[in-house]
Amino acid sequence: MDVTTSAPRGAGPRGASASAPALKVQGLSKTFPGGKGLRDVDIEIAPGTVRALLGQNGCGKSTFIKVLAGVYQPDAGATAEVLGNELSLGSSRGAREAGLRFIHQDLGLISTLDVTDNLSLGSSYANTGWLSGSRERRRAQRLLDRYGIEIDVRQRLDHLSPAEQTLVAIARALGDDDSSAPRLIVLDEPTAALQSAEVALLFGLIERLKAEGNTVMYVSHRLDEVFAIADDVTVLRDGAVVANRPVAELDHDSLVELILGRTVEGIEPGQVHRDAPIVLEARDLCGATVETADLTLGRGEIVGITGLLGSGYEDLLFLLAGAKPRERGTIELDGQLVEIADPHAAVGHGIAFAPADRKRLSSIQGWSLRENITLPRVPTGAGRWLGGRAEHRDVKPWLELVRVRHSANSLLSTLSGGNQQRVVLARWLRIDAKVLLLQEPTSGVDTGAKHDIYVALREAAAGGAAVLFSSSDPEELAAVADRVIVMSDGAVTTELSGGSLTVDNLIRASLAVAPQGERAS
Amino acid sequence: MTSPADTAAEPVETASIPASTSRRSARGGGSGGLLLRFSGLYIWAAIIVVFGALVPQTFLTVQTATGIATNEAVTIIVAVGLLFSLAAGGFDLSMAQNLGFAAVVVATLSTVGGHGPWFSALVAIALSTAVGAINGFFVSVIRINSLIATLAMTSILLAATRLVSGQQFRGPLPDALRETSNAEPAGVPILVLYALIVAAAAWYLLEHTPFGRRLYATGANPEAAFLAGVRTGRHLFASFVITGFAAGLAGVLLAGKIGSVGPDIGPSYLLPSFAACFLGTTQLKPGKFNVWGTILSILLLATGVKGLQLLGGEQWITDAFNGLALLTAVSVAVVSARRAQSGRTVRRSTGRSAP
Ligand SMILES: Nc1ncnc2c1ncn2[C@@H]1O[C@H](COP(=O)(O)OP(=O)(O)OP(=O)(O)O)[C@@H](O)[C@H]1O
Ligand SMILES: [Mg+2]
Repeated sequence: MDVTTSAPRGAGPRGASASAPALKVQGLSKTFPGGKGLRDVDIEIAPGTVRALLGQNGCGKSTFIKVLAGVYQPDAGATAEVLGNELSLGSSRGAREAGLRFIHQDLGLISTLDVTDNLSLGSSYANTGWLSGSRERRRAQRLLDRYGIEIDVRQRLDHLSPAEQTLVAIARALGDDDSSAPRLIVLDEPTAALQSAEVALLFGLIERLKAEGNTVMYVSHRLDEVFAIADDVTVLRDGAVVANRPVAELDHDSLVELILGRTVEGIEPGQVHRDAPIVLEARDLCGATVETADLTLGRGEIVGITGLLGSGYEDLLFLLAGAKPRERGTIELDGQLVEIADPHAAVGHGIAFAPADRKRLSSIQGWSLRENITLPRVPTGAGRWLGGRAEHRDVKPWLELVRVRHSANSLLSTLSGGNQQRVVLARWLRIDAKVLLLQEPTSGVDTGAKHDIYVALREAAAGGAAVLFSSSDPEELAAVADRVIVMSDGAVTTELSGGSLTVDNLIRASLAVAPQGERAS
Repeated sequence: MTSPADTAAEPVETASIPASTSRRSARGGGSGGLLLRFSGLYIWAAIIVVFGALVPQTFLTVQTATGIATNEAVTIIVAVGLLFSLAAGGFDLSMAQNLGFAAVVVATLSTVGGHGPWFSALVAIALSTAVGAINGFFVSVIRINSLIATLAMTSILLAATRLVSGQQFRGPLPDALRETSNAEPAGVPILVLYALIVAAAAWYLLEHTPFGRRLYATGANPEAAFLAGVRTGRHLFASFVITGFAAGLAGVLLAGKIGSVGPDIGPSYLLPSFAACFLGTTQLKPGKFNVWGTILSILLLATGVKGLQLLGGEQWITDAFNGLALLTAVSVAVVSARRAQSGRTVRRSTGRSAP
C-alpha cells in the first residue's frame, strides 16, 4: 500500500537542467519464466512532450510500464534517469519520489469501495486521526472537480462504467498535491473503454498537463488518437524497440507497418441482410438504464450498438442476456417466446454474452485459458468424466481461431490485455451461439488482431449467428457493422445502415443531432 | 427464477485462498514451485525420520501407523466434505458441531430411544444434511455472510446437542454400529477404507465433473461465473448440503468407533479440518482447495502430533504444533508464489485480483 505521497519531491535543486530528458532508459531487459518480456529497450523522452508507446498485443508495453513503476524487477544492467537524476528501477517508492505517476491497464481500484475511498486510499486520508466521511468526500470532490470529472463520489466503483472507472484512476494517480515539480504521467491504454466525448475530455486534460510542463507517456491501439495527441512514438515489437520517431514523420499506413512489420488489408464491407430470417426479436425491453427498446436481429447479421454513456446501450446487452433484471418486455428467439431469467437460461438458449469488464466480469484471472474457455459449456466425455487432455483438444482450435499462441494451460493473468480479450471471444465463439452479444469485443486489441477478430465475427455470422456488438469507436462500427443502432435516454433513437452508416453520422446520432440520411422511428 | 438485484451477478462472499497466486508456480514449472508443491511429502518424510530416530521402538510400528490412519479417517471425511463449501467460496464453521450433533443423535436414538441402528444412523445423517441445507439457504438465498450464518448455526447445534444428549454419555451403541466402524477386513481398519472411498468420490466430483468445475468457478469469481451461465446460488447451496452430509456421516462413524458418545465431541474437529483444507491449498495443486493435498496435510499433522505425544509431550504441544504448522506452511506458499510472479513483486492495491 502506498503511503508515501507526501514524500518531498522536487525539494531543492536536483541538478536538473532544462535540457535533461524527462525519462531516459537504457539497456532495459525483463525475462519472464515463459521467456518473453523485454529486450534491451532504450527510450529517451523530452520534457513537456507526449510520447505514444505502440505495438502489438503482448509486445511488452505494459511490462515496460510495470518495470518503470516498480511492479516488476528488471534484469540486471538497466539504467534510468529522470530529469538528469538517476532512478533505481524496480522500486515503486523510488518511481513515485522521482515524480512518475501511473495508470495501469487494470486500473488498480477496489471495486467494492466507493469513489471517495478509492481516491483517499491512493493519497492517504487527511491526517487528523479522526476519519470524517464528509471531509473525505469534499476532498475527493475537489480532486475530481480540478480535472473536470463529473462523478458522484459516493458511488461504489463497481456501479460505475469502465469509462468512469478510468477517470477515477487517472484522478487518483494525479493526486491533489499542488506542487509544481514536473511529473511524468504514464497511461496504459486509458482510452480502451472510453467514448469519443470522454476521450476528448482526457485529451484536454493531457494538453493541460503538458502545458504545465509535465510529460506524458501513453499506450493506445487507436492510431487516430496518436496523431491527435502524441509528439513522438516508440514502437515495440516482440519486446524490442523498432522505432523512436516524431509523429510528424509518419502517416497512418507507415505507422501500421512499423507496428506490425506488414500492412493490413481493409475489412470488406458487409452485405445488408434485409431479408434474413429473424433470430431474435425483443419488444419494449425495460430495466436498468433502458427505458424502452425494440430490437430485431437477423440471421447472419452483424449489428453494432452505441450511444453516450448512460444512454442504455450498455445495459441493453445485459438485459438480453438475463444478467440484469428486466422490468418489462418480451424476447422471442426464432419466433418462440422465451423466458430468459438469468445467464444460465441465456446460454441454454444459445445466447452468448461477453461483458466489457474483462477482468472482473468476463474471465477468471487465476484460471487457465482452458478452464476459462470451457466454463459456459463444460465438456464431458463418456460417463461424465471431465478430463484435462480431452478438454485441451476441445479448446485448441478456438485458441487458434483467435490467434492466441499461448498454451491452453497458461494462466489467463499471464497474458497481455489484448490476448485476454481474444480468449474471452474464443469462449463465446465455442458455444456455437445463435446470438452473440459482445461488449467492446476489440477493446485493447491491436490493429492486426482486430482484423482477425472481425474476420472471426464474420465467419460466425456467415455460419448463421446474429452478432450484436457494442462499441465506443465510431470507425470500428462504420467499418464492421452491417447496421448500427444508436440509443439515447434509454431508447433506440436511430438506426444507420448502408450509405448513411458513416463515422460522421454515428457521432451526430450519439450526440442526438439529426443525422444526414434515413432516420428510424 | 432468481433475478439478482441491481448488480449483474449474485453476490456471494468468497473464502479467500491464502495461496491462490501460487498456482502459477505449479503450472509454470519452475523448480521452486515443484519443490513447494510436494513440500508436504518431504516434510512428512522428515517427521517420520526424526521421530523414527528419537523413539524408534514406539514410533516405527504398524500399530502407530494404523492408529494414526484410523484416528484421522473421521477427520478426513469431515474435511473432505468441508472442501466443497470452501471451493464454492463459503465457510462452514458449523460442520464440527454438526458432526458432534449427528454422533449424539445416533447414539441417543439407538440406545435410550430404542430404535434400530440403521434407522438411527439414517436419521442422524439426514438431520445433518438438513442442517447443511439450512446453512445453504441462508447463505445463497437470504445471502448473509457464511461465517455469520454458520457461527449462529454452531450455537443452535450446540443447544440441540445438549438437549438430545441430556448432558450425558450415551452408550454403549448397538453392535451393528460398532462393527460398522471397527471391523478390520484383511487387517485394514474399515474406517480407512471409508475415508478412501469418500475421498475418491470427492476427488471425482470436484476435479472431473462439470459440477466441480462450476463450484470452483463460483468460489473464484462469482460474478464472472454467473455471467458465464453458472447458477452460482444453486452451486453454493449444494456445496453446503454436501458439507453437512459429510459431517453427518463422519459423526455416525465416529459414534460407532468410540461406542459411547459424550456431548462435547464435535468442536475438536474444527481446527484440524480447516487447517488441513488450507494447508492442502499449498500442496499438489497449489492455490486450489484439493482433496489429496488436504489428506496429505491431515496425515502430516497427525504424524507430527503422534510423534510429539510418544516423546512424552503434553496436550498443549499438540495445539501449538497444529497452529504453527499452518502458519508456516501457508506463509511459505504465499511468499514464494509472489517471488515466482516477478522476481520481487511490490504489489500495489489491485483490488479484487489481489488475494
Ligand atoms: N507475469 C507474467 N508471467 C509470464 N509472462 C508474462 C507476465 N506478464 C506478461 N507476460 C508476457 O509478456 C509479454 C508482454 O506482455 P505485456 O502485457 O507487456 O504486453 P502488452 O504490450 O501490454 O500487450 P497488450 O497491448 O495486449 O496490452 C506477453 O507475451 C505476456 O504473455
Ligand atoms: Mg498491455
